[in-house]
Amino acid sequence: MAKSKESSDANSGQIIRVKTRMSWKASFKRYWQLYLLLLVPIVYFIIFRYGPMEYIITAFKKYKINAPVWEMEWAKNKKKETDVFFYFKQAFQDNQFLRALKNTVVLNVLDLVVGFPAPIIFALILNELVFKRFKKVIQTVAYMPHFLSWVIIYGLSLRIFATDDGLINMFIQSLGGSPIPFLGDEKLWVVTYVFLGVWQNFGWGSIVYLASIAGINQELYEAASVDGAGRFKKMWHITLPGIKPTIVVLLIMNLGNILGGGFDRPFAMQNNLVLNTAEVISTYVYKKGVLAAQYSLTTAVGLFQSVVGVFFLLMANFISRKLGERGIW
Amino acid sequence: MKKVLALLLVLCMVFSLAACSSDENKDAPTPTAGGTEVTTPTENNGTKTTPEPTPTDEPVVVIEDKDEIKELTGGQLVDGKFPEKKHITVEVYDRDGGTPANDNMYTDFIKKGMLEKYNVEVEFVAVPRWTEVEQINNLLAANDAPDICYSYSFPTVQAYADMGGILDMSEYLTDEFKGLFPNLWNWLGSAGINYRKNPETGEIIAIEGKRNATERIVTFVRKDWLDKLGLAAPTTTQQFEDMLVAFKNNASTLLGADAGKMICYAVTEDVGWTAAGLIESKLDPNLSDKDQYVYGFDDRRFTMPGTKEAVRILNKWYNMGLLWNDFALYGSGDTTLDDYLKAGYVGAYTQNYDLVFRDGENGINYTLSQIVGPDAKFIAIDPFDDANGNHTKYLYSAVGSDRKIFFPATNKEPLACMLYLDFISDAKNVEYLQIGDEGVTHTKNAEGVVFVQSPDEAHAAAKPNSGYNIDLTMTTNGLRLSSEELTVKSMAYGYANVDPEDVVNAINVSLNDAKYPTSIDLGVIEAETTVGDTLTSYQRQTFDKAVAAAEADFDKVWDSGMADYLAAGGQDIIDERLEKWTEAYGSATMLP
Repeated sequence: MAKSKESSDANSGQIIRVKTRMSWKASFKRYWQLYLLLLVPIVYFIIFRYGPMEYIITAFKKYKINAPVWEMEWAKNKKKETDVFFYFKQAFQDNQFLRALKNTVVLNVLDLVVGFPAPIIFALILNELVFKRFKKVIQTVAYMPHFLSWVIIYGLSLRIFATDDGLINMFIQSLGGSPIPFLGDEKLWVVTYVFLGVWQNFGWGSIVYLASIAGINQELYEAASVDGAGRFKKMWHITLPGIKPTIVVLLIMNLGNILGGGFDRPFAMQNNLVLNTAEVISTYVYKKGVLAAQYSLTTAVGLFQSVVGVFFLLMANFISRKLGERGIW
Repeated sequence: MKKVLALLLVLCMVFSLAACSSDENKDAPTPTAGGTEVTTPTENNGTKTTPEPTPTDEPVVVIEDKDEIKELTGGQLVDGKFPEKKHITVEVYDRDGGTPANDNMYTDFIKKGMLEKYNVEVEFVAVPRWTEVEQINNLLAANDAPDICYSYSFPTVQAYADMGGILDMSEYLTDEFKGLFPNLWNWLGSAGINYRKNPETGEIIAIEGKRNATERIVTFVRKDWLDKLGLAAPTTTQQFEDMLVAFKNNASTLLGADAGKMICYAVTEDVGWTAAGLIESKLDPNLSDKDQYVYGFDDRRFTMPGTKEAVRILNKWYNMGLLWNDFALYGSGDTTLDDYLKAGYVGAYTQNYDLVFRDGENGINYTLSQIVGPDAKFIAIDPFDDANGNHTKYLYSAVGSDRKIFFPATNKEPLACMLYLDFISDAKNVEYLQIGDEGVTHTKNAEGVVFVQSPDEAHAAAKPNSGYNIDLTMTTNGLRLSSEELTVKSMAYGYANVDPEDVVNAINVSLNDAKYPTSIDLGVIEAETTVGDTLTSYQRQTFDKAVAAAEADFDKVWDSGMADYLAAGGQDIIDERLEKWTEAYGSATMLP
């Protein structure tokens, strides 16, 4: 698929060159239906994505619940002097935030290191399976956990990993061992967290790679066979390079998320014993913002998070283009 | 044709997008809490005991003259009613009590009463009890909170007041309006109404509900286990520990095949509450008023001198295998421990003095007797001795520890809402809401003593959503019958399906050597605004980690947790409170 996509892109490139000679008026007249269709996402983005951005200013102002954002006062520091960056300073002086920042990076990097290759490897293995039906069943079973919410997964994991009456620890104890606190020890919790994340997502994540593999020209494999390449060689020299553009695009998008990440997974899995390693920015923002009503502080944190996210995205894209890959734009 | 098709497509997309976007702002998922009354600290729906000494006010003179009322209210009330129908919304906690919290026999009673008396239409908004702070935060943030709200969390109210989100109630709480709200003033008095009054500006952002029952905690133990092992009820902490060890050593005698499931002493993730008995016994029995005030922000006594030593004992017990290994994995509102209590795996447990009696046929003691056998039940004991050999424990203060009632800034009908508060404080209405209809939810003897019972099948709709309808009588917590004498006599009969003697015993234990906390208000402590949740989180983490630490690490874990707590704002609160105390009382350590 990747190959065919590239060739069609090349064609469209030529068309664009032709088009640029047309004035925008003529172009609009000719393709007005398409522009009309484009209007819908534009309106959507303006209303739901750009409109709310005016509230970004909250990060620099003292939030008032009953006043429009432009009427709120600018943020003041403890000495009552105007200091628009007060909430940013406050965040970076807050141990809880610094801890959440560190944890977010650590957990996301671990997720990336362990979780990113998993679906690729899985897709490669699936691709080698000969029995179609067996492959289908495995694939379906593997992506089912994706549809479970994290609350349910945590409920399941309690039954499996709990110290007193979890399946694994009951087994260990019946063999005479001492129970392992999978969910109550900070280091073990991280392992459990990453493991469950991989378990939930590798099946689903492999779909896009499988689709990508399906698009590789079969003649390449035939030619390789003629040249005497074995299964592993074919995988290494044809399949992997074939899905490389997909891998790069997904990697860039994942890197843009290095300070982001979901809310429900860490939130569902947190407990008081491991909160030092389990508090991430999203749960910090929820607790400080929604629960403790510190909207200005949490907007500042959210803004910081977005800026860093954009930075990572741009960097990854830049590097990928430097290395000769396509990037995402 | 093509153009028409294109237009149609565009329209389709617009509509489908519109449909999608309604999901955009869904709240972040939070764990559901369908709990019964296990993990909650902040309430009690029991009965009357010796009242805390509070200043009594002069009885309020009711304004009877309709014209005077009309004049007083600037023409809003004509003939004592609103000429046009008013509509107000009122928060009510939902405890999954069998009938819908916002639509049942008792809410209908209130709706009818308010409509007839003042021409005010009342609509109830149900808020889940175990996540009330989160929920009320969400509603306030969305400008969608009910006109009358209540919460156990004052920091929440204060945080919103700081943002301009709370209405100042003082307009209708002046002396000239007193006669319009006689029931409210007679019941709460200026102690409750002016409790949160800002001494500088005179603003009142919340008024305090009142507890008519101030019994607080006891420790329960399985009577049948004591009997089986031939043990006497422990009266010292050491004896209590010996008892737990005996439970553990005889697990197979007591639980047979389920021996591995035994939890000798069930402390939950909220250690400061479910080990409150032990903690309070380790505080200085002669704790000064100054210390109580200065270290009094945290309602789990986290920063009080002595608490650490109590937790050290818990840590020892944890490492001896006497506590619940997984206690920290189940958050507030989780019902797992409830199930364990009912299934009979738990030996001892500290909670509200009446917890095991509540909830009729779903109650802990009743279910236990059905599952394990007629002998199985929890009884109250008094095991934790203090430095003087007494059993010091604290009661609730009548004023200041119950719900804080407030109007959000979106409230457009403050007068109608004040009249509602007056209506709900009326002794007659409270009595009906608490005990319902005679013959259905209670019976009376010749003397007038009330015996609460579960309604039969035919009257299932009469089952209140919460015991004594505590959530509807927002200004009243605890049984409040027409006379104090009757209230006291009825207290043991307030629970269906339990032995009244067990209730009397629990009440007596909860009162043994019990003290009222010193209630001191020296005005708003600014450092307390917006840090409440953060500090609570550090407090819980530190308690939990200290209990579960290896014995050698205990000091390190506790001290670093305490340092986090103090750095996150705890120290500022202590300093500001100390300053306020010194300002008011100088170097004295006790109230004059």
